[in-house]
Amino acid sequence: MAQVPVQTIPRDPQLFYWILFPITVVMILSGILRHYVTVLLATPPKKQDQKTMREQRSLVHGVNVRTNFHVLSKSSFNSRREALTTAYESGAYLKDPDRRGQPPPNPMSDPSSMDGMMGMMKNQMAMIIPNTLIMSWINAFFSGYVIMKLPFPLTIKFKSMLQAGVATKDMDPRWMSSISWYFLCIFGLQAVFNFLLGSDNAANQMAQQMGQMNPQQQPFGPGVDPDKQFLAEVENLAVIEHYSVLDDVEKRLLEGITS
Amino acid sequence: MPTEKEFQIAPIVQESVMHNSKALYNLQSVTASLFGVSAGILGLESYNGFLFYVVFTMLTSVLFYALHVAPTSIASGKGALDTSRYFRGPYELWTGGLFNGLAGFILTWTLFYGLVRA
Repeated sequence: MAQVPVQTIPRDPQLFYWILFPITVVMILSGILRHYVTVLLATPPKKQDQKTMREQRSLVHGVNVRTNFHVLSKSSFNSRREALTTAYESGAYLKDPDRRGQPPPNPMSDPSSMDGMMGMMKNQMAMIIPNTLIMSWINAFFSGYVIMKLPFPLTIKFKSMLQAGVATKDMDPRWMSSISWYFLCIFGLQAVFNFLLGSDNAANQMAQQMGQMNPQQQPFGPGVDPDKQFLAEVENLAVIEHYSVLDDVEKRLLEGITS
Repeated sequence: MPTEKEFQIAPIVQESVMHNSKALYNLQSVTASLFGVSAGILGLESYNGFLFYVVFTMLTSVLFYALHVAPTSIASGKGALDTSRYFRGPYELWTGGLFNGLAGFILTWTLFYGLVRA
């Protein structure tokens, strides 16, 4: 393998003070600022009236009985199942009993679900705007030269991405412009934010937050018909074959002692 | 695989599992950034740098195991390398942390490599 001569470019040491540190400091501070802005702007969850709460909580009750039936004795499980089933089928828990059979309210026109969507959009805005601003700032001020060398080699294809402003043919892809330092910082500073702000900070990657928010939204989100959910829950409760963890507990206890 | 009934008798609490993995994740992030600093100062190049990272992350995992997990785990009768009391699956403790800290490692490694090498 022919030895490629190591490309060294002598650089002004002032480069570090004027470029590297400012970008790093700006990104750390903007992350901290974003976290605190998110915390301050977060609207408290809206208090809902008693009927809506009852509707939601009764469904959760049904789900809990279904998943944890094994800690109940047979009689208490059966009594719970019958009470819930009659209530679900007669619509005793519904918010608007007159609207049974009608399609669920349009999410755009239903005011109670708008707040949830606004919260998600605000978080997204809080993430996108600072990143866009910083990227345009870097492109305006810091383009046209390379600042640092990556410790490990990359393929040629990365050159177009990482050496944005400098169009040369022969330069090693290890040399990067400042925009690639920006990308490195986005990924790498999450560890620093974890350390500074605790693990629930809002400066984490958006994907993490979106993934956690979406599954929670489904049961009570806009456009879901509670009546159908109740009837589905009735069926789920009906198919359960009940057994309890207390059934053979004496045998297990004796086995544990004698071993 | 424990049966569903055994899960019901000794349930796995979601919050505890999350707490365990969060503790491990925080530790891995901090140590990965510090290892990047040392790799940059030492001036390690491509393969050497990654090898350094892998070796020292495994060392961190071993120390974490020996000091935190082992005392209570061995006392409750498990084998010498069994992590099932605290973590689901052995890979989570030994090798999962590699990818967690990789970004922080590369960031600080590049930074200090550029600063020190001049």
